[in-house]
Amino acid sequence: MLLEVRGLKLVLGSSEVLRNLNFKLERGETVGLLGPNGSGKSTLLRAIFGVLKPVEGVIYVDGKNISELNIREIARKMGYLPQESAESRLTVRDVVLLGRTPYIDSLKIKPVDIKIAEEALEAVGLSGFEDRKFSELSGGEKQKVLLARVFAQKSEILLLDEPTSHLDISSQIEIMSLIKKRIKDYGSAIIAIHDINLASAYCDKLLLIKRGRIVKAGVPEAVITRESIRDVFGADVEVKNFGGRIHIVPAARRSAISNIRVHIICGGGSGNNVIRNLWEKGFMISAGVLNVLDSDWVTVTELKGDVIDEPPFSKISEKSHSENLEMIKKSDFVILTNLSVGEGNLKNLEAALAAAESEKLFILEKDDFDSRNFAGERAKRLYEKILNLTQENRRFNNETELIRAIEVLLSDKRFTDAS
Amino acid sequence: MKNIHSTQFILLLLFADFIALLFGIGFGSSGIGFKQLFTDSANPLVSAIILNYRLPRTLIAMFVGAGLAAAGCSLQALFRNPLADPYILGVSSGASVGAAIVILIGIASTINIVTAAFLMALLTSIVVYKIGTVGERVPVYTLLLAGVAMAAFLSGVTSLLIYISAKDMHQVVFWIMGGFWTANWFKLQVVSIPIILSSIYLIFSSWNLNAILMGEEHALSVGIDVERFKKKIIIVSALLTSAAVSVSGVIGFVGLITPHAMRMIVGEDNRTLLPSSLLAGAAFMPFVDLIARTLTDGEIPVGIITALLGAPFFLYLLRRSRDVT
Repeated sequence: MLLEVRGLKLVLGSSEVLRNLNFKLERGETVGLLGPNGSGKSTLLRAIFGVLKPVEGVIYVDGKNISELNIREIARKMGYLPQESAESRLTVRDVVLLGRTPYIDSLKIKPVDIKIAEEALEAVGLSGFEDRKFSELSGGEKQKVLLARVFAQKSEILLLDEPTSHLDISSQIEIMSLIKKRIKDYGSAIIAIHDINLASAYCDKLLLIKRGRIVKAGVPEAVITRESIRDVFGADVEVKNFGGRIHIVPAARRSAISNIRVHIICGGGSGNNVIRNLWEKGFMISAGVLNVLDSDWVTVTELKGDVIDEPPFSKISEKSHSENLEMIKKSDFVILTNLSVGEGNLKNLEAALAAAESEKLFILEKDDFDSRNFAGERAKRLYEKILNLTQENRRFNNETELIRAIEVLLSDKRFTDAS
Repeated sequence: MKNIHSTQFILLLLFADFIALLFGIGFGSSGIGFKQLFTDSANPLVSAIILNYRLPRTLIAMFVGAGLAAAGCSLQALFRNPLADPYILGVSSGASVGAAIVILIGIASTINIVTAAFLMALLTSIVVYKIGTVGERVPVYTLLLAGVAMAAFLSGVTSLLIYISAKDMHQVVFWIMGGFWTANWFKLQVVSIPIILSSIYLIFSSWNLNAILMGEEHALSVGIDVERFKKKIIIVSALLTSAAVSVSGVIGFVGLITPHAMRMIVGEDNRTLLPSSLLAGAAFMPFVDLIARTLTDGEIPVGIITALLGAPFFLYLLRRSRDVT
């Protein structure tokens, strides 16, 4: 174990900023400190670096209590990159050389120091920048030079405070990759970061911090959940898992919920957009019949709509079919999406026919039916029947127009109801 | 600027210092020039003027110029503020009060004026430092504000002292304007030792000053105990400036302009900038003093000349740097 924080409690002024913090950092590990502004991430880093003295608790680095080390010794063990922006007209070489300060006595710079500085600059891909003025570099380049300065410190632990804030997306990725590469070759890191996606992409472990307390710790999948993000950041998000990589997006916002029911006959993702759009507009949605884990099924379930479903890869049963018809009866509108039809879901066309007969049906057709018909003549005849029963102005080839048509119809209906 | 160039530049400045020394000895209002220096050196008048007057005077000017420039340079780096100068801690106004008191109560011997000015200067900077300290830290802005406020207060005190005793007004005002006409070997001793020691300390601090340039948090991150270092630099600068002011009065702009001019030539790296400023100050001051004592029949206070030359030059730098950055 490289670093251990035990029972850390820190007071600034009259307020407690860190409360009973405990965690460990193993060799080769990247730990992300995640939390909103003012949660204590920077304070924790400064406490670990020994700048802020805790009122309780100990921090061990390599088995040594850091309160017994002076700042010069600490700077050899830990490379700390503050969030404070740096500005000076020093040359890039001089800035990187500052990383050698903990090893330099008065003004004696040895050739080995210069060599280490040059290597550090090379590691961040800025060889040849030595004589450029720091103040004349771009934001991304400055941050890379500062990173080289920290690398030149040759410390096993990196303490990085928001190393990517204020940078554009390509610089963010570059900086994080450089840090990752460095850790792979050399030691470990604690990174304060408020970009949740960046944190989960680059950190092995996350500590979720709320008002100076660790509320959750572990691998990104375990730490980042809809609930924990709402609790700590007060934000409503959807958490996606792309093959173990956690990603959050702002949760969709729903308009005032109406009592208009729309049933969607879909499958294989053909209903995805319609479902989401209608849900956002505040309609009550249902769908069926779908196989469990079908991507439309996932969408409706996520949005907590009603689904009539069958187990994966199984045919629509009589029972589900009658439930589907029941649902159609209850609904104000029914939409038949651009789904593919096979023997398994042929009954969905029968259900759509029923909807067409009761003049509730809207059709979304993007592709020619033949190209998505895998159930032969019977399906084709059924579909033609459905088309015959549906007016031309209820057939659409894109979601936007379809939904607009439903909305127009609704406002007309309300108007006629009122009069 | 590469290292080799900065070495050459420093050699050039050393040469300029040498020339300044020669000129300071070789010219003067008495009309004794280089010629007499070699042909008539046995003449007791010539040797008296050279040895007892021009030599200490020129050396004092060099030390004062070097000291003010070095202190200005260090404080500009420490505060990361281009407007910082050696008098930022209220040293000049403190020294003025000290000198004024001694002159007005009628005990104005050289040693009394120097001692009073020095002690009051030091005392003022201590008070400013104490007021500017918040907890255990010394935030730059509180220190600067405390210095400005203290200077304003003490200027008021000096004005009051001058006002209530109109008899010696001339002498006090003359002292405040700054000059080297009362130079002697005693003053040289007073000024040289603190300035030499302080300057050496500052030059050895130039690496840490570079780190501070990046920001205090960044200096901390490379293992510098920033608060302690700040205290040391402030104390050393105050000591140095107090010594300079006590023998020469308030000579403005040298400590502000010299580091700026050098920065434009050698760049920001204090390892080069500090020695360059120091040597440039040492060359500049005797030249200005030479102008002060030869331009008219009488003698113009040096502070007037530095302000007349310095302020327009500063404005020029300001315009230029605005175009650059």
